[in-house]
Amino acid sequence: MNGLLVLFDLVLLAGIVGVAWRCLASTDLFRAVVLFITFGLLLALAWVRLEAPDIALAEAAIGAGITGALLLVTLERLRSIMAERRSGRPHTPPPDPTGPHALLRALHDPPPERRTFLPALTFALVVGGLLVTALWHQPQSTGLEPVVDAHMDVSGVDHPITAVLLNFRAYDTFLELAIVLIALLGAWSLGRHDLIPARPAPGPILPGTLRLLVPVAIVTGVYVLWAGSHAPGGAFQAGAILGAAGILLVLARPHQLPMAPGVPLRLGLTAGVALFLLVGLYGLVAGHGFLGYADAWAYPLILLIEIAATLSIALALVALFVAGRPAGDDA
Amino acid sequence: MIANTLTVVLILAGLVFFAAGTAGLLRFPDVYSRLHALTKADNVGLGLVVLGLMFQASGPADILKLLLIWLLVLAAGTTAAHMVAQRTWTHGEFESDR
Repeated sequence: MNGLLVLFDLVLLAGIVGVAWRCLASTDLFRAVVLFITFGLLLALAWVRLEAPDIALAEAAIGAGITGALLLVTLERLRSIMAERRSGRPHTPPPDPTGPHALLRALHDPPPERRTFLPALTFALVVGGLLVTALWHQPQSTGLEPVVDAHMDVSGVDHPITAVLLNFRAYDTFLELAIVLIALLGAWSLGRHDLIPARPAPGPILPGTLRLLVPVAIVTGVYVLWAGSHAPGGAFQAGAILGAAGILLVLARPHQLPMAPGVPLRLGLTAGVALFLLVGLYGLVAGHGFLGYADAWAYPLILLIEIAATLSIALALVALFVAGRPAGDDA
Repeated sequence: MIANTLTVVLILAGLVFFAAGTAGLLRFPDVYSRLHALTKADNVGLGLVVLGLMFQASGPADILKLLLIWLLVLAAGTTAAHMVAQRTWTHGEFESDR
């Protein structure tokens, strides 16, 4: 039985390395994106084998699912930009390698010459060697597991991962939420509001399936959020599931998007970070330290922060997919 | 014992469909026949694997969860196949940049 599992792990490892190699070596961007999504799914499987279902869920939902959708829509936008340029100026002189849009062009240029092979190989061998040496000199320690287990009773939740993410190391989670928000601000500050280059399939099948899938996705998202306090799950996974439902809706009806009202949208987007910060500051004033909770209040506060964070993450992921600010809101 | 045998037989049968579907995806000449091969792997192959796993479930909740997974994949797979076929029908085969 154990031998079979080792065999499975080896095949999985070979698959991960192989898909990563094909993804990096592909000169076709669409193929590279599809391989990246495959890579994410295989990586999720690897996390399952490492007995980290929380990370597996997050990797499958965010790493493979949402990031894949973001990359695909970016590719589609790049294509329409390139097509526009080609049709507009049919006989352009060879482009200046340092000029504007150099980055955009570089994406479509042929891969670099063979002479980069030797430096790249040397670099890969040095980094690989360092990583192997690091593995060799791993200290004999049990990690932080006993420490976390010893403090579970004051964490307010029953699931050690959630206890670490929202109590013991809440600072990290707070910054992760802030990064999602900052990414969205970056996308909005580019100031585009073009439509999503989607071509919804005509016919009743897609809307019919969405009528079926979106309620299921909402129930699953809320369940995963709720389960976070005692089992694998939590705000990021739940937010990704709800965000995916939103992206499906956006993709199915790109021309009839309801205008997102500016103020409620912004309130929803910042709810996670704002509430987290507020609770953190209160902890500072009340003497529990920044982002510390009173023991009795830990559970309700964690739940409140998780709900707000889920809402913000889901909204931010959909908004990142749509990319531009809501049209007609330049004020 | 009977349950274990049934599980092994059903999952092996499911894997045959997956292998056939993958072979078809790689070898068939056009989008429609590739879709035809692929949807067999999704629908029948996964159905047999799920059915096989149901004999190992610890209770009715697990059985229902497995059934739900199969139904969701059926719905999503069917829609995806429909959309790929529809797009090929209206716009022709997908052309890559290179």
